Amino acid sequence: MTESERAAAAVATAPGRGEPMIVLEGVSKWFGDFQALKDVGFIVGRQEVVVVAGPSGSGKSTMIRCINRLEKHDRGRIVVDGIELTDDLRNIQEIRREVGMVFQQFNLFPHLTVLENITIAPRQVRRWPKQKARQKAMELLERVRIPEQAHKYPLQLSGGQQQRAAIARALAMEPKIMLFDEPTSALDPEMIKEVLDVMEELAESGMTMIVVSHEMGFAKAVADRMMLMADGEIVEVGTPEHFFTNPQEERTKQFLSQIL
Amino acid sequence: MATRVDTLEPIPIPEPERPPERKLSPAEWAKKNLFSTWYNGVLTVGFGLLLGWAAFRVLQFVFVDARWEIIERNLRLLLVFRFPREETWRLWTALAVLAASFGLGAGAAAKLRAAEVAEGRAAPPARYLAVRRVAPLVLLVVVLLVFAQSLTATLFTAGVAAVAIAFRFLGRRIPRERVRWVAAAVLAGIIAAFVVLTRFGGVPASEWGGFHLTLYLAVGGILLSFPLGVLLALGRRSTLPLVRIVCAAYIELIRGVPLIAILFMGFFMLGFFLEPGWDRPTEVTRALVAFILFTAAYVAEIVRGGLQAVPRGQIEAAMAVGLSPLKTTRLILLPQALRAVIPGLVGQFISLFKDTSLVFIIGLTELLGVAELMTKQPDFLAQGLIFEALVFAAFVYWAGSYWMSRESQRLERRLGVGER
Repeated sequence: MTESERAAAAVATAPGRGEPMIVLEGVSKWFGDFQALKDVGFIVGRQEVVVVAGPSGSGKSTMIRCINRLEKHDRGRIVVDGIELTDDLRNIQEIRREVGMVFQQFNLFPHLTVLENITIAPRQVRRWPKQKARQKAMELLERVRIPEQAHKYPLQLSGGQQQRAAIARALAMEPKIMLFDEPTSALDPEMIKEVLDVMEELAESGMTMIVVSHEMGFAKAVADRMMLMADGEIVEVGTPEHFFTNPQEERTKQFLSQIL
Repeated sequence: MATRVDTLEPIPIPEPERPPERKLSPAEWAKKNLFSTWYNGVLTVGFGLLLGWAAFRVLQFVFVDARWEIIERNLRLLLVFRFPREETWRLWTALAVLAASFGLGAGAAAKLRAAEVAEGRAAPPARYLAVRRVAPLVLLVVVLLVFAQSLTATLFTAGVAAVAIAFRFLGRRIPRERVRWVAAAVLAGIIAAFVVLTRFGGVPASEWGGFHLTLYLAVGGILLSFPLGVLLALGRRSTLPLVRIVCAAYIELIRGVPLIAILFMGFFMLGFFLEPGWDRPTEVTRALVAFILFTAAYVAEIVRGGLQAVPRGQIEAAMAVGLSPLKTTRLILLPQALRAVIPGLVGQFISLFKDTSLVFIIGLTELLGVAELMTKQPDFLAQGLIFEALVFAAFVYWAGSYWMSRESQRLERRLGVGER
């Protein structure tokens, strides 16, 4: 192990603030013969914000999709807030209730209004009464600044509004953790900021977040740690200052020179 | 200094440009669309003559040549065949019950629509929509009344219409949170109508005939084949191999056999599979089951197409917010899949409606069967009146099919709001 590898490994396993919320140990994942994740080990602490970058096909989406079991990992352990992710359906449901996810393509339900998109999970999964769910939904829509869109259908909204509605939908289950899978990649440039602003406020409110994104301005302002992935492996992890000003790995320098 | 004063004058806001208006006089329109070149002129004149001749012959047949008394004399047979006269009140009662439940449903739907319009997520309905929706059915009823030439029937029909309109107003008063029960109320109405006809000394379905039987087979077939087809479609996509194989095998088996063969099998072979002591199902039941089994296989394939059209991301999003697989299917997957396949589904149901005429091969007498039969009555035998009989039967089938087709288009537009 070289000096730099040891440094990277030390940061990779160092918990963030407080106790660990997400623990990945030796996680591997194959799609057919292609290995998408190779022995990924990583700990995210409570209230920590981690921004994951890396070239396409590097496994960053696969990694966060494994955390709420949209993909099944083939080897290793994933523990979310003390619950180990196994084939037990009850465990999976419990973890999904605590983990909110925001997708690149929003994935709002087109046959439901924005309000119904947000209330459906609390009503059906948490069995909240209608009034409580609606009240919570309106609070969230205020928070993402689109309360006037509550009764519209998703496709009547702009991309930025849709993504903010999707964030509100994920927050409605009162998750402890939020996963963002390239939340601004499908947006027109002028709409990226409105979504990032909402995410920044969320981070400031103390939400534990993993954000797959190439918005480096956002990462510098919000991330507690930055991570670079390539070829299914974690290349380098560190604070934004360390990551942007003093990267140790050749691969990181190369990546930064391409996107900055 | 004068130049500075000039800049303080208000700058006129330019009128937004509008597309140039093109208004054609009738002569210009005809020139542009009908006689733009010499060969278009020839085609216009040629087809004009052809259409005019055809229209003339049709009108001549309908209003001059046709001997409609065969329909007038046999109208009761055509509609309800041998339904006993003293039980006719059951038919009118059943009609009134149906009118009440469908009126209730229409009223509730109108209220829902009004709420959506008020919230700005649906377009306001077209003018006279309610009247236009039932236009084909009204036409059918009017034609039937013209043939019936009966004051009693006209009065009863008006009564049924009044019930429908009254319950439509009632439907608009249903509180919004109860609206979803209205679908159940409509279904209950259909079942109640069936009970009125058959129970408490009524006439069992096995004795039915004419248009009455046509409707029974079509409505029963549609209502029961739809849920079965949806289950088969879901089963074919199941993760359990056994369920998947059984559903796929059923679908492919049924789709590989002609409907007539299935009807025959129900007629001849069913007894073979039943234990000797059991009651034999009646011919009508056998036919109904055959239609349900047959149509369900096609519905399943249509619905499967819709399921495949729902993006994978929808299921992932539903799972990510913690919805169980069952709820994901019921609340996210099926609503989107079904609205995508409305045209195909309604097409299948229109087919079923017309295919009910095939039951003549197992000895049942539905609308077309009566139409054929009545030309053999002593009064009308060998007088070439099969024309009148066929035209009348065709008109009844057309009115029903056209109504379904228009409802399907309306439903598509209604559900498509905000989606494209």
